[in-house]
Amino acid sequence: MKGLTAPRWFAGRARLPRGEGPWPWLVAGSVALSLLMLLALVLLLAVRGLGHFWPSPVALVSLEDGSQLAGVKVREERRFDGAGSEWLLRTANRDLEGGIWQWVAVDAIESVSHPQDLVVMSRTRWGDFIGRLVALEDASGNQQEQAAWNAFEARLAEIQALRDERDRLRGDVVLPLVRRLERGLDSEARERLAAANARIRGLQRQMIGETLILESADGQRLAQPIEQVLRAWRPNAMSLPDKLGAWSRGVWRFLSEGPRAANTGGGVWPAIFGTVLMVLLMSVLVTPFGVLAGIYLNEVAHQGRLTRVVRIAVRNLAGVPSIVYGVFGLGVFVHGIGGTLDTWFFSDQLPSPTFGTGGLLWASLTLALLTLPVVIVATEEGLARVPEHQREGALALGATRLEMLARVVLPMTVPAMLTGVILAVARAAGEVAPLMLVGVAKLAPQVPVDGDFPFLHLDRKFMHLGYHIFDVAFHGGDVQAAMPLVYATALLLVLVILVLNLTAIFLRHHLKMRHVALPRH
Amino acid sequence: MIEPTPPVATSSNATPLGKRFRQGRDRLATALITAGGIGVILAVLAIGVFLAIEVVPLFMSSAEVPFQDLSPLIWGTLKAACFALLFAVPVALGAAMHSSVFMSRRLRSRIKPTLELMEALPGVVIGFVAGLVLAPYVERHLAGALSLLVVMPVCVLLAGALWSWLPPRMRRLLPLGWAGLWLVPWLALWVGVALFLSPWIETQLFNGDLRGWLDSRFGLDYSARNALIVGLAMGFAVIPGIYALAEDALSGVPGHLGEGAEALGATRWQTLWKVVLPAAGPGLFSAVMIGAGRAVGETMIVLMVSGNTALMSLSPLEGMRSLAASIAIELPEAAPGEIHYRLLFLAALLLFIFTFLVNTLAEVVRERLRGRYRRLGGGS
Amino acid sequence: MSVSSPSRPATAGPFIDFESHDSCLEIEGLSLAYAGKAALSELTLKVPRHRVTAFIGPSGCGKSTLLRALNRLHDLNEEVDFSGRILLDGQDIHAPEVAVSELRRRVGMVFQMPNPFPMSIYDNVAFGLRLQGGMRKRQMDDIVEWALSSAALWHEVKDRLRASAWSLSGGQQQRLVIARTLAVRPEVLLLDEPASALDPISTLKIEELIRNLKTQLTLVLVTHNMQQAARVSDYTAFLQEGELVEYGATDTLFTNPRLARTENYITGRMA
Repeated sequence: MKGLTAPRWFAGRARLPRGEGPWPWLVAGSVALSLLMLLALVLLLAVRGLGHFWPSPVALVSLEDGSQLAGVKVREERRFDGAGSEWLLRTANRDLEGGIWQWVAVDAIESVSHPQDLVVMSRTRWGDFIGRLVALEDASGNQQEQAAWNAFEARLAEIQALRDERDRLRGDVVLPLVRRLERGLDSEARERLAAANARIRGLQRQMIGETLILESADGQRLAQPIEQVLRAWRPNAMSLPDKLGAWSRGVWRFLSEGPRAANTGGGVWPAIFGTVLMVLLMSVLVTPFGVLAGIYLNEVAHQGRLTRVVRIAVRNLAGVPSIVYGVFGLGVFVHGIGGTLDTWFFSDQLPSPTFGTGGLLWASLTLALLTLPVVIVATEEGLARVPEHQREGALALGATRLEMLARVVLPMTVPAMLTGVILAVARAAGEVAPLMLVGVAKLAPQVPVDGDFPFLHLDRKFMHLGYHIFDVAFHGGDVQAAMPLVYATALLLVLVILVLNLTAIFLRHHLKMRHVALPRH
Repeated sequence: MIEPTPPVATSSNATPLGKRFRQGRDRLATALITAGGIGVILAVLAIGVFLAIEVVPLFMSSAEVPFQDLSPLIWGTLKAACFALLFAVPVALGAAMHSSVFMSRRLRSRIKPTLELMEALPGVVIGFVAGLVLAPYVERHLAGALSLLVVMPVCVLLAGALWSWLPPRMRRLLPLGWAGLWLVPWLALWVGVALFLSPWIETQLFNGDLRGWLDSRFGLDYSARNALIVGLAMGFAVIPGIYALAEDALSGVPGHLGEGAEALGATRWQTLWKVVLPAAGPGLFSAVMIGAGRAVGETMIVLMVSGNTALMSLSPLEGMRSLAASIAIELPEAAPGEIHYRLLFLAALLLFIFTFLVNTLAEVVRERLRGRYRRLGGGS
Repeated sequence: MSVSSPSRPATAGPFIDFESHDSCLEIEGLSLAYAGKAALSELTLKVPRHRVTAFIGPSGCGKSTLLRALNRLHDLNEEVDFSGRILLDGQDIHAPEVAVSELRRRVGMVFQMPNPFPMSIYDNVAFGLRLQGGMRKRQMDDIVEWALSSAALWHEVKDRLRASAWSLSGGQQQRLVIARTLAVRPEVLLLDEPASALDPISTLKIEELIRNLKTQLTLVLVTHNMQQAARVSDYTAFLQEGELVEYGATDTLFTNPRLARTENYITGRMA
């Protein structure tokens, strides 16, 4: 039977003496494809996310019809009708133009230059301005045109110092006093509050005064009150070190400031804080319970059919979609336990819920439940790796089971448990769907930790990096304007998760090494 | 050598009281661990029970319950999962075959953790990139994107053909064991070429308007958020999971099986195809099952990429709305206890039951497979 | 050592005369089954105090099972059916008032695979002492030194007591395990093929150690190596298929076995 087919088959092989045929190349290609996609994604995030903070040059574009435009070139795109391509320019100046984007056909461009005097300003109202600084006008109307830029920069630094002082006063003095007053009448607090408010008003008065006379590329003039300007820079005039400095300050502001302009500007500090706090709480909850259940399953439970079924069930729960956990959290924690807590302890505040709505505690509990299988499985695997003769050695010396576990087995399992917890944290940090049901917020100006008793507010909603991405990218007004920020946030989230996972991989490797060192003769 | 009299050990704990204390502590700890362990496990297992209890009133109520509202969602869920698997299964299984048989050990020990990291990428990031970057791009460059489906395999095969004509010295520099790595720039090059040339091809073949041509020829309506993009994004998300399990199954096949075939003169590919794959078949099946479970339950990617319109169409160029996405969108607004709220709980219960069953099936199959390998003397 | 000729009929099973020794362990009608499969059936024998008793027999004859039963290590396994009695100094080790951890302190055990814990040499030896608790540092140092000396390891490790126990060679690890067991002052030491994983020189050291230790305690040795049994033991029991075939003084058993089964085994193996 085989004899008939063999010669033909052999002949086929003879034509490709060394080769294995096309299939090995196709499967190698699928490895390459996976790597390529991963690489492309990571590169995209890194380039766009980090590039956002780079002070990119501003182009002055002269069109054939004689008009001029100043803006940052975002990308070049082929036109839908196939007739050439066009540039997308971010021209800013919402107050003058009504929008901040301009499409310019490449064919219509006459010349492009990068004059050094083009200024980019980030303002508290109307977004960015791109154009020229004509003059600095002080309160009495005297215009200064010579060296206006230097005077403006110096004044901007002063205003920034005043602004910082005002924010500090608001956060550290006014807010606690207001909370104190909310709890009861207190004449001393009232006086101090009045004093602080007066001081803030004084600071704000000091900020106003000068007005900037600005001119856009197409010649429109604008009087800009100086206190509304946050930062200003002339990207075409900056040297590389200047740009690097500006870049790193931009990164720092992104990490340390709160969001502005309906989440499309500013930083993500509250989201970082919320993510980290929620994940910390979750790991505090998941570690003891997960380890306990793992020890029970592997060391205490009767190793029969029931235990095997339970083990498979626990493993499978790791594959249950996270949104299902979210539904469970909403039904049990928020509406069930939270609602009951409200009627028992916070009935004076009803119908506005305290714990009967999504919050930090319920989010952490839900994610703890979600990641419990991860920790249980990791603990069990670690315990199963401890050689039986180590256990017997401890027992043979007269150790009780508890002593054997505590002194020999568990110390050897610590890296495995740690790996499990870190993997759980990495999973929880990237999980968004369940949070949408149990307590994440678009914008939570108050972080859940402050100087106010009980310091950690488990009932508050919080911001989350992952949800921030979703919200800004899909619910924001101008997605195009928010994109760079979303890229940066996504990069940050990926970096956090990457670091956590690398730690887990390192630990697991370390664990394997240690067990290789076990005596095997 | 032996000292005649050992030092006297007096020990407080050696008294009967001390012994009783140790025994008692042991018993107490065992009881606590048992109670805690059982408690935790019950809490975790309570999820399914709770969902079921919440859903029961739907079937008891006298009012009309719009169960049919769920059918387009179930359809959308399955459609999204199918497209994801259509993309992910060949790539993941191919990658697993390559890395278990052909790849060099050193590269493999790096690639596996890398793909594990790929699995850790959060859905919301993948969804963002697919929904806001990829979807608009493909909308503008549909021809280029579709041409990649042909260009990729062809360029890999071209690489294979070129390779066999290379002089032996060059071939040693670019071994098949490292092809997974050195094919990456090659692929990138051809992707670039394909995207660059596709406008010209589109002009030649479809009058420069592929979407118009598709519409007039097949009546296919193009929407920017469509099943193709969902499949690509979610496929990307489930590839590493399927790959890891499939790789374990393939490399767990006892070595002497394959060696036997190779000793008879089979090539490595023939050995893989005829001996290793059939042996590891159940493992591959369970890997795909677990991938399917993940694709069905993935929320953020579908939410951000699918467009969330409850359509019941087969077209790969139209969007859908899935169970998980509906829960995420509608549940925060539903009032507890009302029919809509319970209907969404029913959706969650369906997801739970489906993934639980699929995973159990996969786990049982894997368990059997492990037993089979052990009997074959492999020991994975 | 006076072992007289048989004074009971051979059908009553193997026997030994203990007129000159009191017995430390007495096994009476011990039967043991794993998951329904019999491993030991109706075993009765006495282990003399301050002597080395060896159990020999083909693989799977139940000699290791018997040894583990003496330490109640089968408590770990829930599928074991058990009947009969084991007396340690006249007390049933399965009696409810006997705490299993205390029994295991009194009956130490050394396994085939050296199993030092992943801690320092000192901590390994002090492990059992710390379980008892309430001991001063100075006292503990003394006992650790004594135990290591008793196991003929002190001179090799006295300068690196804080080093990891896993840095020792296999033979040293096995002697460390013996030292660790000696430190809790057991009355009986069970050795389950203690030298089978070691090189010949380490094996000789362990054998010498076994011979020396019998001045302090009772030793029970399981080995598949008959030369070893002949070299170190005073009494030898030959087991086959879970039954005790013959039990007697080592010299007699090896040179002049009573039963043909024993002779076949010994000559077959030794030839």
